[in-house]
Amino acid sequence: MSLVTAVRDYINRMLQDISGMKVLILDSHTVSTVSVAYSQSELLQKEVFLVELVDSISKSKESMSHLKAVFFLRPTSENIQRLRRQLASPRFGEYHLFFSNLLKDTQIHNLADSDEQEVVQQVQEFYADFVAIDPYHFTLNVPSNHLYMLPAVVDPPSLQNFCDRVVDGIAAVFLALKRRPIIRYQRTSDIAKRIAQETAKLMYQQESGLFDFRRTEVSPLLLVIDRRDDPLTPLLNQWTYQAMVHELIGIQDNKVDLRSTGKFPKDQQEVVLSSEQDAFFKANMYENFGDIGMNIKRLVDEFQQIAKSNQNIQTIEDMAKFVDNYPEYKKMQGNVSKHVTLVTEMSKIVEERKLMLVSQTEQELACNGGQVAAFEAVTNLLNNESICDIDRLRLVMLYALRYEKESPVQLMQLFTKLASRSAKYKPGLVQFLLKQAGVDKRTGDLYGNRDFLNIARNMARGLKGVENVYTQHQPLLFQTVESITKGRMRDVDYPYVGNHFQQGRPQEVVIFIVGGTTYEESRSVALQNASNSGIRFILGGSVVLNSKRFLKDLEEAQRMARPSTTVL
Amino acid sequence: MAELAKAHAKALMPSFGDGKEDQHLIEALTQEITGLIKRSEKKLQRLSAAGPSEDSNVRKNVQRSLATDLQNLSMELRKKQSTYLKRLRQQKEGQDGVDLEMNLNGSRSKMEDDDLDNMVFTEHQMAKLKKSEAFTAEREKEIQQVVESVNELAQIMKDLSVLVIDQGTIVDRIDYNIQSVATTVEEGLKQLEKAERTQKKGGMVMCATVLIIMCFIMLVLLILKEIFF
Repeated sequence: MSLVTAVRDYINRMLQDISGMKVLILDSHTVSTVSVAYSQSELLQKEVFLVELVDSISKSKESMSHLKAVFFLRPTSENIQRLRRQLASPRFGEYHLFFSNLLKDTQIHNLADSDEQEVVQQVQEFYADFVAIDPYHFTLNVPSNHLYMLPAVVDPPSLQNFCDRVVDGIAAVFLALKRRPIIRYQRTSDIAKRIAQETAKLMYQQESGLFDFRRTEVSPLLLVIDRRDDPLTPLLNQWTYQAMVHELIGIQDNKVDLRSTGKFPKDQQEVVLSSEQDAFFKANMYENFGDIGMNIKRLVDEFQQIAKSNQNIQTIEDMAKFVDNYPEYKKMQGNVSKHVTLVTEMSKIVEERKLMLVSQTEQELACNGGQVAAFEAVTNLLNNESICDIDRLRLVMLYALRYEKESPVQLMQLFTKLASRSAKYKPGLVQFLLKQAGVDKRTGDLYGNRDFLNIARNMARGLKGVENVYTQHQPLLFQTVESITKGRMRDVDYPYVGNHFQQGRPQEVVIFIVGGTTYEESRSVALQNASNSGIRFILGGSVVLNSKRFLKDLEEAQRMARPSTTVL
Repeated sequence: MAELAKAHAKALMPSFGDGKEDQHLIEALTQEITGLIKRSEKKLQRLSAAGPSEDSNVRKNVQRSLATDLQNLSMELRKKQSTYLKRLRQQKEGQDGVDLEMNLNGSRSKMEDDDLDNMVFTEHQMAKLKKSEAFTAEREKEIQQVVESVNELAQIMKDLSVLVIDQGTIVDRIDYNIQSVATTVEEGLKQLEKAERTQKKGGMVMCATVLIIMCFIMLVLLILKEIFF
């Protein structure tokens, strides 16, 4: 079952038994959850005529007792407070309360106490505490994501909040899938271990009754890994449609905001890129840039054909046919112009930032060897005036991640050159990255040069040549997924929590990356799922990263970490 | 709508009679349905023009959902009408063909008789021809009427399509709609605050305060005058 269907199921169940005009009240997190899975027109069909946020609703005083209120909130203490105030002076006829995660007993008691006028008709838990952006990809949109990079001593309460939010999200995913998993985590990451242990405690001790589902032959697997094991993937420039849009422009909850990149007509300022609603996007989201261009051209040609035939309206029959097909035509027109606008924008950005050039070097740094050649290439690009600061920073970081041990002198040269060229560069950021995610800290074999099998494989691939220079890179997750499929994940690197153990291969696997996922990784997972290997993978993370977001997290973490290092 | 479907089916069945009553029934039903749809549309328009208030979002959304329903209904009606029209046309041609064939056969078989019979049969033929002509003319008129109502409905549909949400676009997203509500409410608040400030700063309050102070001063002076004189 895909995650989007699970969320839609929950929302349907919320709305189906309540007759009459309804108002749906959400909070800032559940609005994302609901918006990616349900559309406004579908809500209207269910007679939900008003949607509001719980914080703005308390400001208005007008009473609408002809409406029934359906609340769908996260069970946080602020929401409970707001609800209590609402219940004390109710505005609506009936109140139906739904929560996206587990309610504590004290919270229920508090709510019951404030419900003096007995307007609450039902209170239920529907576990949709995550944002299901694609059928097998979810995110939690955690606001201060950078906390995972910091040791616990820096800010214990915020880190605890972070872990709680992540554990709640993962628990909700498994409750929605009605499964209880075996849990493994990445040994070298403290935060992954902590999250894995807290999740295990929740599922097996605190709420073991709730999670006691029908046991299948082979339990599903939850794997908690750390973003810092693969710092390479978020830094690379992407060339497949969905990943590229996120990297160059930015996708938030399946919406793309084009206002920052230029002037657009009103209906193209924000567009929706959802694989559930847009058939063309669903077919092309994992294709590379060249193929997308061709497919869009084909789409435009089709559309022009239809437009031309619409212009020869001569008989009344033609007119009738035109009016019949008009809604379809309009929808197609909107869709075509959306994709054309996106691709044009991206082409413009590629042109401005010389990304073809930069990306070629990036892929070389990520996939092939040759330290001397790499050093030369990076130096040349650093000297090139038309490369912008963020690209220079990324190139140096990629070089540093790969060759941090091989030639320290040249590395220092690059650092100084970078500092001199980029005005906004925060000094020490690359070193901070190396401290967080350097070769000593990583478990996985990021560059395929740790054991002989991988080296041989790389050599063979080099000899064979690559299909496309720009999409050579495979994220480390691909190797992890492969090792799970073959049942060969090493216990040393990925131990089990407590006394869990699993014989054989799991049928369902949820991989959670603390620190965020990327669309390149979700593409990898989706293609793996489509290859019918018998195992279903679901990928999730605390946010969805692109290079800008990853760098911002690094900077934030560096800023917070600095005072503590001076203390030591 | 179901009644109209039944009436269509009945009229299309080949019958011996003239079928005039059926035609009238169909016409009446079609007019009624079109009238209902038109009235609903007008009421829908009135709903939106009724001024802004807290309820306005609810109203707008109700409008949208009803507009979708209306659009679906009118599309259904048009589809039914166009199929009826098509089958009517087929029938008309068929009947004409049949009539003509009958005439030809009749004339051929009667050609062998003697002249007296010929004249009688020719008259008979003429009468038949005239009758089928009149029949054709009537059918033509009916088809024209149906086409007119189809056009009317097309017009209504075009008007309604402005109200209906395009699925899959940004306007169909819940969070986008909440955002725009939030911004309009914020804007409204800002405007209100501005208005309040200008009112406070405004001359009226100043004038009123000055006048009151003057009144007090005059009163005091009056009392003083009374005391001292």
